[in-house]
Amino acid sequence: MKGKEWKEKGKLLLINLLLIVVCFATLVPILYAFSVSLNEQNSLLGSDFSFIPQRITLENYRKVFVEEPVLLWLKNSLLLAGVTVTVSLCTGIPAAYIFSRKRFPGRSGILQTLILLYAFPSLLSMTALYKLLSPMGLINTRMGLIIVYTGTMAVFALWNMKGYFDTIPVEIEEASMIDGASPIQIVMKIVLPLAKPAIAVTAMMVLIYVWNEYIFAINFMTGEDAYTLAAGLYSLQANETSGSWPVFSAAALVVSLPILVIFFALQKNMASGLTSGGVKG
Amino acid sequence: MKPLKTKKKNTILFSYLWSMPSLLLICLIVIFPIIYTGYISLTNMNVYHWFTYDLIGLKNYREALLVFDSGFIPALLLTILWTVVNMVLQLVIAYVLASLLNTKGLRLRNLYRTLLVFPWAMPGYVSILLWKTGMFNSQFGLLNQWMEKLGFSPIKWLAGDGIAFICCTVVNLWLALPFMITIIDGALQSVDQSFYESALLDGAGWIERTVYITIPSIRPIIAPSVIITIFTTFKQFDVIYLMTQQAGAKTGAHIHTILTYAYENAFITNNYGYSSAVSIVIFVILIIFSYVINRKPKEEV
Repeated sequence: MKGKEWKEKGKLLLINLLLIVVCFATLVPILYAFSVSLNEQNSLLGSDFSFIPQRITLENYRKVFVEEPVLLWLKNSLLLAGVTVTVSLCTGIPAAYIFSRKRFPGRSGILQTLILLYAFPSLLSMTALYKLLSPMGLINTRMGLIIVYTGTMAVFALWNMKGYFDTIPVEIEEASMIDGASPIQIVMKIVLPLAKPAIAVTAMMVLIYVWNEYIFAINFMTGEDAYTLAAGLYSLQANETSGSWPVFSAAALVVSLPILVIFFALQKNMASGLTSGGVKG
Repeated sequence: MKPLKTKKKNTILFSYLWSMPSLLLICLIVIFPIIYTGYISLTNMNVYHWFTYDLIGLKNYREALLVFDSGFIPALLLTILWTVVNMVLQLVIAYVLASLLNTKGLRLRNLYRTLLVFPWAMPGYVSILLWKTGMFNSQFGLLNQWMEKLGFSPIKWLAGDGIAFICCTVVNLWLALPFMITIIDGALQSVDQSFYESALLDGAGWIERTVYITIPSIRPIIAPSVIITIFTTFKQFDVIYLMTQQAGAKTGAHIHTILTYAYENAFITNNYGYSSAVSIVIFVILIIFSYVINRKPKEEV
């Protein structure tokens, strides 16, 4: 009996060790960037590099905010994200509710088209979008990017919210209908409060999409002033010959922080809010 | 009979009225550009013929599908290889880690879980850029620093096709595993424990329990997520583009998935007509793919 107990303990110790190694290996790129961003030495070629910087400095972070137009990019990103979230949710939620609850001719055809559109990467119609937006003078404007993002996210919002509405039992609404509530009252007082977590997750996914989208931003916008955070970070990256890796890693962590906070705040809702719609961001 | 009919008509009108803004947005911004892409694919539009392009019929499609050297078919084959390699590794590694997380008596389970989902929480393109510069950079990347310490000569991680493919796979696994671990972890917890107890009484070993109990039990639960991941892996663009072929900073590797291939032809070599044809072919592949997948469950039921 005792031998068996020891065997169990040894097994548990081994599994713990293995998981610690895996967790550490997972975090290496982030820890390394964090350590570099705090490191005073500009040259990283020294062979005495360690994960704990010898002399800690916030100089790289100061440079990010003072020498690079990060605050301007932040403003651009927030503006674009705000408009995109508002438009895609305000149009998407009513449509999603209708598609979840009402049966009408054309419904299943539209839903099937939506599945296909969801599979279609917007990257592939970039040429066409460029060609369509440029005669309207919308290239290199915020409006142009807003249009592109809103369209892509309209499909996502509609599909994700519909998936969630499908999981709310109709019986709740039918019961209040019998109690004499009007359709508008039912939606405002019962359905929307119930859907709050899904709305929050959908809004956050749209925000994260705009926050992270770089390929349209770098192709449709020219000039640093018009960049979003993602495009700006892309332009800051250090390559083999130019750019500062410590400043870039500081900027990368600054840009990631809000997304990390949102993710861990919503983590519980993340799995249910996403899998119910059958889509992953 | 008549009031019923008007009521039905009202429902239709009401439904379309409320979903109109969303559907209109989608038609104008998503569907119309796709149709327009189809039109461009029939022309010779490129940087010299930006305004003065001509219709040239199916020439672009012939070039993409029938001429092996034009690069689309190799890119498609590589994309399939990429998808298979990534999915197999992802499922195996995620299954092993999720099983370890579910070991009885593991106290720090929640800490491990939180640390392991970290890559999922980071913005994807930031992580890829951090990997590219922090880990793989041939001068100050961490991997080459370690190589040097161990007495090896530094390696150009992203310069060759094979090694770049492996590096991209590592990064993609790093990005995708947290989601898969979370899904499999959740599925494992839903398996009825009494199955294992009776199996243990029957003297079934670990392999038998895995093959006959665990996998059949979790398969239906993880299937939708696996299918979605197959799609995202097949459509992967960011990893390969950001790691190896950013405009002006190519690393020398020539690995193309279908999406990076379409992008390169559109915005690097500016062959818009040809690239649009490639886009339409990819779209058709995705349609067939999702049609096949959506059909299968119905047949089983």
